[in-house]
Amino acid sequence: MATKVTTTICPFCGVGCGMNLLTEKNRLISVEPQIDHPISRGQLCAKGWSSAYGIDPKDRITHPLIRTPQGFRQTSWNKALETVAARLKQIMEETGPQAIGIISSARATNEDNYAAQKLARAVLKTNNIDHCARICHSPTVAGLNQTLGSGAMTNSAEDIFETDLVLVFGADPTENHSILGGHIIRAHLEGTQLIVVDPRRTRLAKLADTHLQLKPGSNIALLNAIIKIILDNRWQDKKFLDQRCEGLAQLTASVANALEGVEKTTGISLPKIEAVAKAYSQSKRAMILYGMGVTQYVSGTNNVIALSNLALTCGQLGRKGTGINPLRGQNNVQGACDMGCLPNVYPGYQKVDNPEVRAKFSQHWKTEVPEHPGLTSMGMTKATLAGEFRGLILFGENPVVTDPDQNLVKRALGKLDLLVVAELTMTDTARMADIILPAASFAEKTGTFTNCERRVQHVQQALPPLGEARTDWQWLAAIAQQLESDQLDWPDSEAVFREITELTPIYSAMNYAKMDQLHGLQWPCSPETPEGTAILHKDTFPIGKARLIPVHPIPIDENIDSKYPLLLTTNRLHFHYGCGSMTRKSPLLEREIPTGLLFINPADANELGVTHQSAVGVGSRRGYIETRAMLTDDLPPGLVCMPYHFHEAPSNQLTNTAQDPLTKMPELKACAVFVQPLEPGSFPRPIDEISGLSVEGVK
Amino acid sequence: MKIQSFYLNHPNTLRDHLAKSYRIEPPQAAPGQNTPPLVSPKGQLFAEHENLFTFDGECFRETLPNPEPFALFGVQSCDLTAISYQDQFFANDPYYQARRQQALLIGIDCLSPCQHGFCPSVNAGPGVKHETADLILHQLSTTSWLLLACNQKGLGALEGLSLNPANQPELNDRDDRIASCIEQFSDDSHLKQGITAINQNQVPEDLWQQLGLQCLSCSGCTSLCPTCSCYGTWEQQESNGDIRRQRFWDSCLYESFQREASQHNPTEKAGERVKRFWTHKFGDNFAKEFGRYGCVGCGRCEVTCPGVIGVHSVMKRISSDAQLDN
Amino acid sequence: MHNSITNHQTFYNLTPTAMELVDFIDDGEDARHFRFRLITPQSINTPKPGQFFMLSVPGAGEAPFTFTAKPNNQGVFRALIRKMGDVTTALFQCQSGAILGIRGPFGKGWPIASLSDKKIIMVAGGCGLAPLTGLIDQLIAERHHKHLALVYGARNRALQMLNPERLRWQREISLFDVLEDTGETVTSSKNHVLEGTPLDAMDSVLRTLDWTPDMLLLCGPEVMMKAVAKNFLQRGLPAQSIWLSIERRMHCAVGLCGHCYLSEHHLAHHYVCKDGPTYRWDYLQPPEKTE
Ligand SMILES: Cc1cc2nc3c(=O)[nH]c(=O)nc-3n(C[C@H](O)[C@H](O)[C@H](O)COP(=O)(O)OP(=O)(O)OC[C@H]3O[C@@H](n4cnc5c(N)ncnc54)[C@H](O)[C@@H]3O)c2cc1C
Ligand code: SF4
Ligand code: SF4
Ligand code: SF4
Ligand code: FES
Repeated sequence: MATKVTTTICPFCGVGCGMNLLTEKNRLISVEPQIDHPISRGQLCAKGWSSAYGIDPKDRITHPLIRTPQGFRQTSWNKALETVAARLKQIMEETGPQAIGIISSARATNEDNYAAQKLARAVLKTNNIDHCARICHSPTVAGLNQTLGSGAMTNSAEDIFETDLVLVFGADPTENHSILGGHIIRAHLEGTQLIVVDPRRTRLAKLADTHLQLKPGSNIALLNAIIKIILDNRWQDKKFLDQRCEGLAQLTASVANALEGVEKTTGISLPKIEAVAKAYSQSKRAMILYGMGVTQYVSGTNNVIALSNLALTCGQLGRKGTGINPLRGQNNVQGACDMGCLPNVYPGYQKVDNPEVRAKFSQHWKTEVPEHPGLTSMGMTKATLAGEFRGLILFGENPVVTDPDQNLVKRALGKLDLLVVAELTMTDTARMADIILPAASFAEKTGTFTNCERRVQHVQQALPPLGEARTDWQWLAAIAQQLESDQLDWPDSEAVFREITELTPIYSAMNYAKMDQLHGLQWPCSPETPEGTAILHKDTFPIGKARLIPVHPIPIDENIDSKYPLLLTTNRLHFHYGCGSMTRKSPLLEREIPTGLLFINPADANELGVTHQSAVGVGSRRGYIETRAMLTDDLPPGLVCMPYHFHEAPSNQLTNTAQDPLTKMPELKACAVFVQPLEPGSFPRPIDEISGLSVEGVK
Repeated sequence: MKIQSFYLNHPNTLRDHLAKSYRIEPPQAAPGQNTPPLVSPKGQLFAEHENLFTFDGECFRETLPNPEPFALFGVQSCDLTAISYQDQFFANDPYYQARRQQALLIGIDCLSPCQHGFCPSVNAGPGVKHETADLILHQLSTTSWLLLACNQKGLGALEGLSLNPANQPELNDRDDRIASCIEQFSDDSHLKQGITAINQNQVPEDLWQQLGLQCLSCSGCTSLCPTCSCYGTWEQQESNGDIRRQRFWDSCLYESFQREASQHNPTEKAGERVKRFWTHKFGDNFAKEFGRYGCVGCGRCEVTCPGVIGVHSVMKRISSDAQLDN
Repeated sequence: MHNSITNHQTFYNLTPTAMELVDFIDDGEDARHFRFRLITPQSINTPKPGQFFMLSVPGAGEAPFTFTAKPNNQGVFRALIRKMGDVTTALFQCQSGAILGIRGPFGKGWPIASLSDKKIIMVAGGCGLAPLTGLIDQLIAERHHKHLALVYGARNRALQMLNPERLRWQREISLFDVLEDTGETVTSSKNHVLEGTPLDAMDSVLRTLDWTPDMLLLCGPEVMMKAVAKNFLQRGLPAQSIWLSIERRMHCAVGLCGHCYLSEHHLAHHYVCKDGPTYRWDYLQPPEKTE
């Protein structure tokens, strides 16, 4: 039996590495990296190498399932779709289209996401469409939109090799975007200066020239101090500021006192801050890469603005090897946003509240479109609890495990009159559904993913869908048909993409063939830039001049006290992804999970009587979990850290629900906790065993 | 058997002939001369996932693979050397041997160095060694090739193909070209120095730890390395309820590779794992047992390592470090 | 081209032979002394003391354990097993009569031949006593050695294993129980009870013995073995008279899967399952540096 090779894109993170799938007799037997892929160049990370396990037929949902009092029962597509349509109609008639919505997936293709928002807007007549990006980078979109006019990575991965200085801010790329992390290592070994700003001693921090180990929540204090030093020393890029920015006077005034107490607030000495200010501003080309250590704070949006202020002040934008570059999590979170799976924008960030935009879509789709901006996923949750929202279609996401507000989401989902979930495997969210639809995996479909550097890449089908599974846009189309609409009747995914390009200016000159030939196309790709755009904002910003916006330090919402004396932060483990529903099917990645999930400095551990790998209890004002401790110098005394998304010990039981006011991003990066050793030799109990206990009761 | 040599107009002639009795791997067109594929043919013999046995509740039944005869067509010398090493390593492994005995190996001489390769430094190429292949292809010109049958199996596979015996001058040409190819390889002093330093245990622990810091435990090197052979096992239930044990490629660079159930881990530090990997590839004691180093100079680890600790990167670090010491 | 691979005689067997769980007794915390029966007696070779077998629990996996008593002519043998991970947890859920799998025996056992006429001291920690059990029984039975003492370390009383065996040996050899936490209970046994780790206790152990050991056998946690070995080297015992049993993660037991490698650089291609698990101390040490 000969092997078939299919070229496609890794389904895990926003790097979007090139990957070949090797199949034999319609079974995926292996994956291999693509030597000629522009980013990954013959490499993959641990997740990529293990992706064959993720879609293994074992545990997959292969038929539509319908909830009955006796549990889920297999049903036919027809029956499932009829039921969905009938209930949707009923809700629409009784409560109106504002009572239904769709949550699409940052892991599905652009075609799937486009279909989801079109179903919402053109068929269901609602703007209640969102996806699950909120816990990663909504502050990025909110912040950079205000300052630059676009929320995407400004530069490209290849720029890492064409810069003099890389500033990694609150990101752990070797673990979360490993291939880019590797690029940074390589560039650094070849002479690029590397500065890492992180409360933890990450792998890159250990390799870096400079590590600013700042206290959690002091990002703005640090950035304002850096800007102040730059202005005081006239290290700014005067020409850039004059010609391309506005708001310098206000910014200058706002940082006037930024050096006062900054050593104490940040925990970093002034000379060290000065050295970084000088290095960043005086480098010919300096590039900022940042991650969730910037966004997951109540000050998330402001943190992003502060970073943007720094880049603008030094004119480190719009050229090769510069820029401000968010490292986004899921493989297609960029695409889900691009496709308008957001309540306030159509594909290509065309605003819902703009009548011209609405007219354009209405004309093209030959139907009325709703006027009012819709609900975010959080909004839908709240509206459900208030009894105003009743029907939800959700796919490719598992908010019951991943949402920071787990308990609230669970309550809301339970209250819905209709919950449709399309999934690969029986996740905790799927278990709550009324109807479960079997979804095709990335290897079973054709479409496109847009990576973090705005590169739209072609995903190709290597296997037939398992059982009766269908590609998301196909079952979305089938729902539309049940609702007597032919809006989603495309013959194939290429036709979906063609419609996308017709309506989305930044995608307008793209097609599959060109994408294959050039290994993807970076948007904007329009008739003026037919081969795409590697660097944004070269000559101008979408909003004309960029805005410098003063921001002031906002302390973390919950500080330590005598009862909760340690600060907890969260991280991700490089061999795991999301809730682990795919990665944990790999025996190799499963084995790699460390015994202990609470990382703690030996000094703190010693004081508490906690030993390496011993069982500990961790509690916050919101919850209590048990796990094992891992002693490590990577954390400073006073700070402990847990990876999130492990059902054994879900850190979102502990984390603070206080939110960034603008984007509702919860403060996942800092909350106050206590840690206590458990009986020597005892085992940590899983969460469901602990649940009944009150927080006070255990302490 | 004495080597027999023939003229061949094009490898496709041979390929088409062999296709009558063998599945050809890789199935695609002409062999890539001078550049080994990113993925070696290792998986054809030591399968990435191999079923070991099934258990029906009472009995355990070995499940040996039974592939149809297949031809590995156009394999470079580095990969053939790796196969001949694995033939030794897996000599008593029934699964490997079940596949191996169905395989016909058709080598191809490299006539110019590939980007990261260094086969001459580890005695693994660029010309195919006769004892590592059944048939060897050597390009003389765009229209003319040499075809060498190294053993009875190779000769037998040619049956039915009308071929003219080759003359001595062309055979001498082959040797000359291989010799001149060897001369074109770039300087390998970092490899020589690195190998010496490793074997004399002169690489400071610090340096191993620094290199270890760069290992992202991706398993790329071990997956692509044609001599890597470690595996793990797991058990799954089949649809009829039987239990099936399967082995799968594993990587000694994973933190959990040696971690025991008690959590004790003899190679907890990444530096120790990286050190052991390279000691395993270049150890003199290994060479004593297997007649050669564990590395065949294909250079794949250099390409695939996101942490920049492939063979050249590591050896350069080791040798420059050693020079600083002197 | 016929595939006749199965006729090859020297192939490793990666497929287990069936056996049955006969019964067990609890022995120490989370540990049980099991009896197993080969479905076909003589279906495996007779193990030497210190050799191990791979136990398969279908559906859960396979793991190495030492024979504490070799198969008798009904094929019944014993092993002391501590609950640790997935495989052992699954085993502990099995009932009498459960069908399990066995492969083996594997590895080199203890160096029986070089023990005759020796004054032997054994130091075991925790579960490390299991691999010495068969040997102690054989030595007691054959009496080729001169003296034999066993120093057995455990965290506390509850964690001590092989209680019936130790009671039985009490009359034959010098027994020292070393407990990190002695608790209040004073036993009426003839065992000497000492506090701390085996290393802490060594001075008083040697003072108590009226002979000087010329052979040291070690089995237990690696740190403990290394510390005790170094201590004896300092006391003048030659490296050639120290043996230890090394534990490594194992998946094949025949030198293929690679998990049980030694990382000592001169042994980087050595596998504990094949070369070990018992090693003479000097073998593990790096050779003199060559300049
Ligand atoms: C030569 C030898 C003899 C042993 N004899 C005994 C004995 O007599 N009694 C006893 O209680 N224990 C013994 N052990 C230890 C015992 O093998 C492990 O405790 C057991 O494998 C781990 O339990 P698990 O399989 O449930 O762990 P899991 O966590 O399920 O481990 C998964 C797999 O990893 C491997 N593995 C994990 N830890 C070890 C380990 N420490 N050693 C070897 N393989 C491991 C096994 O293949 C195991 O199936 C011995 C180990 C070795 C190497
Ligand atoms: S870095 Fe991201 S895209 Fe690349 S292989 Fe890893 S998970 Fe996949
Ligand atoms: S160690 Fe690297 S260069 Fe050597 S054989 Fe393996 S992959 Fe090739
Ligand atoms: S390829 Fe590099 S990073 Fe990946 S496992 Fe090997 S040494 Fe580590
Ligand atoms: S257990 Fe597989 S090599 Fe030793």
